[in-house]
Amino acid sequence: MGEFLKNLVEVISFIAIPLMFLLFLGWGLIKKVKVYEVFVEGAKDGFNVAIRIIPYLVAMLAAIGIFRASGAMELLITVLAPVTGLIGMPPETLPMALMRPLSGSGSLGIMTELMKVHGPDSLIGIMASTMYGSSETTFYVLAVYFGTVSIKNTRHAVPTGIIADVAGMLAAVWIVNLLFR
Amino acid sequence: MLNYIWIGLILIGLFVAVGNDIIDEVQNPYRNGEPFVSTVLLKKAPSGIRQTWEGDLVAPPDYFNGFYGTQRTQEPIRQPAVISKSADGTASLTMNITDASPAWWREMAKSAGSKERLLGRVVEFSVSEDQTSARVQVVLESIRFVKLKAVTQAALDYAAIAVNIALGLIGIMALWLGMMKVAEEAGLLQVLTRILTPVTKRLFPDVPPDHPAVGAIIMNIAANMLGLSNAATPLGLKAMEELNKLNPKVGTATNAMVTFLAINTGGLILLPATAIAVRAAAGSSNPGIIIGTSIVGAGCATIAGIAASKLLQRLPRYKKAMEV
Repeated sequence: MGEFLKNLVEVISFIAIPLMFLLFLGWGLIKKVKVYEVFVEGAKDGFNVAIRIIPYLVAMLAAIGIFRASGAMELLITVLAPVTGLIGMPPETLPMALMRPLSGSGSLGIMTELMKVHGPDSLIGIMASTMYGSSETTFYVLAVYFGTVSIKNTRHAVPTGIIADVAGMLAAVWIVNLLFR
Repeated sequence: MLNYIWIGLILIGLFVAVGNDIIDEVQNPYRNGEPFVSTVLLKKAPSGIRQTWEGDLVAPPDYFNGFYGTQRTQEPIRQPAVISKSADGTASLTMNITDASPAWWREMAKSAGSKERLLGRVVEFSVSEDQTSARVQVVLESIRFVKLKAVTQAALDYAAIAVNIALGLIGIMALWLGMMKVAEEAGLLQVLTRILTPVTKRLFPDVPPDHPAVGAIIMNIAANMLGLSNAATPLGLKAMEELNKLNPKVGTATNAMVTFLAINTGGLILLPATAIAVRAAAGSSNPGIIIGTSIVGAGCATIAGIAASKLLQRLPRYKKAMEV
């Protein structure tokens, strides 16, 4: 089963994009679109979009970098550790839950570390990898997506993102405890 | 809100860094100013006019742990070092820090002047009769303000990372924007949009069902669910641009944008390929076991996000922000 899934993941990630290209361009050809001209016309904006997000990304990542380097995460974990027992969450996975919305590379590192120490098929290993798959790097997404259209007043986007993250983490704890404890 | 989170991250970071450094100053975990006593097994004696000795600094783990106050290592210390005497009689010690060096010294070197070297002032140095070993007492360079240095470095590093990410996006962005334009002109997006109208109409009531934004949103969600992050980000940014064309108040997020972001940050993915790959690499007997649990987790996150965006958009303060 595991081997089959791994192959499936590989196959999909290999063929999905070529298939999309084929579909897009083939459909264009059938509909007699001047594919080359239109492609270039659309691609022109790529540079501007990428450059426009730089200030937003710098602001967000620098703040996250400062927070991570200061050791504030360790402090937060000490403060929150007594609470995790109440919801059936192993304290070792708390850094994972806190890091996931902030940093993709940071949470990937924590997941790898937890699996190395506790084993990938332990409760902690399964919970950490489920948590990783249960959410996106919310603050990175916010910075990039709002950056590209120069949104400064984000209204309810941040509370919405945080609610989604908390829900994802709690659901991960619940389902893993239900199935694997 | 993002304002407060942002300044909160920075202020908490700075305060905690200062606090940690003050604690370090009191507890002195780096033993600044205290002599480390050990033996140097000499390999090279002084030759010519330069008074330098080369060799390995050795110490038992018990002494190392005792000196630094906690369990820092289990292995005996064996660290290459160079001792040189200057004309006025003072001597200094240089250790080249490599991966073989004790972890705690590596940590200290990170905060010292140079990552690869740890310097020290030799207090006492006496070579044995047979010239093969020497006793040395060395005060290593003072390590101070570790966290403040780390914070400064992190701010600079992450600013550079941000620019690299953005620059890396230029090519992929251009590729997908070009593809999207072709799909749009050919009417492919419109076909997709029409099929999914019943869903998108409910999720994004403010967006006309045949608007190009809907096509981009569908493509982005599809790419996300397939785990194609290289395609998902450009498509998502394209969707944001299209949504912004419907924005009555430039610079402020619309309801549709927040709902769209809620779906994106929920991160619903059919095959969490990264987590599976890491599990397989760690030797899991069943790497794919987390697919089901991840879908439940991300599904809950997505549903909670959509519900939260729909409920919060009715709050008076957020409604007021949208008034032109």
